[in-house]
Amino acid sequence: MIKINKEFILSKESRFSTFKTQLKRSFIITKKDLRIYYNKPPVLIQGIFFPIILFFAFTIGRSISPIYLISGIIAMVLFLTSTSLGPIIFPWETIRGTFERLTTCPVSIKTILIGSIWSSFIYGLLFSSIPLVLGVIFLSSGLAINYFLIIAGMILSSLVFSSFSLIISSPPIRNPGNTMILQIFIKFPLLFISPLFMPINSIATAVISPITYCLDVLNIGLGEVSAFGSFGLLIDILVLIGLGFGFLFLAFAIHQKTLEKRFR
Amino acid sequence: MSVIAINNLAKYFSLPKKGKGGKPGPMNGKMGPMGIIRAVDNISFEVKKGEIFGFLGPNGAGKTTTIRMMTGVLRPTKGNVSIFGHDVWKNQILVKQITGNVPEEANVYFDLTGLQNLMFIGEIYGVPKKTRLNRAESLLKKFELYEKRNLKSMRYSKGMKQRLLLCMALMSNPKILFLDEPTSGLDVQSARIIKQLIREYNEKGVTIFLTTHDMEVANELCHRIAIINHGKIISLDTPQNLKALTQEYKAIDFYFTNGADKAKIKDLSSVREVQEVSGGFHLIVEDIHEGICEIVDFIKQNHLIIKQLNTHQPKLEDAFLKIIERGDKN
Ligand SMILES: Nc1ncnc2c1ncn2[C@@H]1O[C@H](COP(=O)(O)OP(=O)(O)O)[C@@H](O)[C@H]1O
Ligand SMILES: [Mg+2]
Repeated sequence: MIKINKEFILSKESRFSTFKTQLKRSFIITKKDLRIYYNKPPVLIQGIFFPIILFFAFTIGRSISPIYLISGIIAMVLFLTSTSLGPIIFPWETIRGTFERLTTCPVSIKTILIGSIWSSFIYGLLFSSIPLVLGVIFLSSGLAINYFLIIAGMILSSLVFSSFSLIISSPPIRNPGNTMILQIFIKFPLLFISPLFMPINSIATAVISPITYCLDVLNIGLGEVSAFGSFGLLIDILVLIGLGFGFLFLAFAIHQKTLEKRFR
Repeated sequence: MSVIAINNLAKYFSLPKKGKGGKPGPMNGKMGPMGIIRAVDNISFEVKKGEIFGFLGPNGAGKTTTIRMMTGVLRPTKGNVSIFGHDVWKNQILVKQITGNVPEEANVYFDLTGLQNLMFIGEIYGVPKKTRLNRAESLLKKFELYEKRNLKSMRYSKGMKQRLLLCMALMSNPKILFLDEPTSGLDVQSARIIKQLIREYNEKGVTIFLTTHDMEVANELCHRIAIINHGKIISLDTPQNLKALTQEYKAIDFYFTNGADKAKIKDLSSVREVQEVSGGFHLIVEDIHEGICEIVDFIKQNHLIIKQLNTHQPKLEDAFLKIIERGDKN
């Protein structure tokens, strides 16, 4: 492509190279979020102690099978940490005015959202590795653990929960405190209908919770058979991928709509 | 040669429902029939290459809404904005890449230092690493922030934050700079630095679009000014021509030691109105030059001795108020 007098003729990039630059810029946004919002002592302390406390609270004095205990705590930590900061950062940046500054930069709203996914993902994955390590140390005797499957399942689930987090972030709330209400009415009911610490088939509502498919992958990785039959693992992975993209595209659409309401 | 063209641009907001969510902004916008605020109501104008174009209007006039549509943040309800011939909404990223922005209620990242804020913005715009640091440092020096570059910006004063925002807007070497109320509410020193650098960058060829509710800022900086009220442009001209609209504000005060006859002064051909003030007169004249010549002749003829003579040039503020009043009547 010939560049003629750059000043007056803006060169349009090809779709692929636009995608590449936008992806790169999403990482820059992630770096900023990690630095500003995640790298804070209270956030880190909570991230480390929450899984540890949860682990011992459920382990000591209860007779839950080690497989369900490990998978349950990992899934719970994955879900809660991946969805914890995103919904607070959006209103926070909106009232601070940094959100409008960012939208005037050459990044699309999708890029901003994907940037937010990466940081939720890293945060979720990092802290859910704590119960995994604790589980391996204290509870793994007699289990045939497929580490590859467990880690792959955690990566996939963390991505899915991170894009779910974008949906909780979409209302144009200006008060970060108000997001607590959303969390209580969306996140906790989801945990409630999920088969945490028990066989998946023991709750009827399990199929509609994304957490279930994460649990099933983890259970398989810990040596249990899938609750969804002989193609269970494949079903889990396909459902998780489907949900991940579903949440992502839904989030794109909703944020595009609510974006305008963030500016007053 | 125009670089920005605005064609029949409009933005309507539906009225915020009562008792829900955040509080609505100042409600100066013209209310439409069905609970609609016409924040920007069908405006068209062009900004020429290399000019400082001012958008002047009272609070709630629609300035911020217009600038948000010009920068691709808000989608126009009607009409469009084009920059270098590209529709802004359809080519957001392309256009944002070559423009710099200081939104009205924008802010810097409090938890980053001044330098880190600039490096972040530079990276987002894809400024190469080496250039980024050099440019950040030279901007910080220019805007007198270099000493504080490693201080977290939450500890900056309002004026310093605004200067940093301007540095951020300049990190990508933009061709066009959009500034929404760049100097409002700032300390004198920051306002002076900002105005000086706006001029400096304009001389280097950067086209600047700024909004302000402050006549003095518009008068000092802008080559052309559009006056906006209730979402409509009610006047667009150079500051000089806008000022010329307020003939009645051309006035001469003169004071003398011995008495003079008010009726005689009123007979002077260029004098339109006479008000007696202690020890002299306040005259509203057609023309300052003719008025002075006539007064001098009058003084010689009547053997008066002048103590003091002042002239009042029209101020942009007067023009602004007059135009707004006229617009409200229609
Ligand atoms: N997001 C919004 N939702 C509803 N009304 C809005 C919104 N933004 C601006 N307005 C209204 O539009 C009008 C113009 O506002 P604005 O463009 O901010 O004016 P200015 O910048 O000139 O002070 C005001 O009446 C304001 O209340
Ligand atoms: Mg404004």
